[in-house]
Amino acid sequence: MVYFDSWDEFVERSVQLFRADPITTRYVMKYRHCDGKLVLKVTDNRECLKFKTDQAQDAKKMEKLNNIFFALMTHGPDADISEVSGKEQAEQQQSKKGRGRRQ
Amino acid sequence: MYERSTEKGSVWVTMKRCECSFFFLCWFVRWFVDLGFLERSGFDADAFVLMCAASLKCAARLKKMEKKGQTVEYMCLVRATDGKRNISTSLAAKDYAKFQASYALVLKAHMHALKKRERKDRKKTVEAEKVPEKEPKKQKKSSSKKSSGSK
Repeated sequence: MVYFDSWDEFVERSVQLFRADPITTRYVMKYRHCDGKLVLKVTDNRECLKFKTDQAQDAKKMEKLNNIFFALMTHGPDADISEVSGKEQAEQQQSKKGRGRRQ
Repeated sequence: MYERSTEKGSVWVTMKRCECSFFFLCWFVRWFVDLGFLERSGFDADAFVLMCAASLKCAARLKKMEKKGQTVEYMCLVRATDGKRNISTSLAAKDYAKFQASYALVLKAHMHALKKRERKDRKKTVEAEKVPEKEPKKQKKSSSKKSSGSK
């Protein structure tokens, strides 16, 4: 069991783990409100990847990872993750533009 | 669940992939077992044989489809628990966009205990870092002035 410091590394390794063994790999999200802590875990019963955070900014990243795993699990391991992340990036850009106009 | 666990306890949400054919196979196995019990209690034997044959055919067809790589539907099993109650659902590829949007809303609404970015402290630290950087420059300048003055 390893707690990752870097978010990008955690995402990369967890997607690799899922693609290597899509049937047994599961993604668990544990949220503890009273302590304000969020723990993400991806495991295939042999290897266990974990990421712990208490920052609100990581909640957005967690939503992205949720989207990635939903896409992988419903469309199969060969699904394009770039579509999911690409859409989000486009949305972010649009929202940024909107803010600029308002100002 | 998120509302109930605000004071104590935590919530686990698990996502896992499962194949549609797996559900069917489980269903057929259960069917076999049920029918076996029914037969023992005086169920019509002909009907039992027919049903068995039909279920075997279906299972074989599914296996063939898997081998050929034809439309094997993927389902995403989502389970949530707070240690006492469990809820679960399975998602097909069609439903996942809708579910994911509403799921993100639920998470946003309830995950407000996480710490926000502390900008004031960061600014202070940045300023603190900048100040010592400036000081040596001044010293250098003063030293250069001194040196020029001495000349």
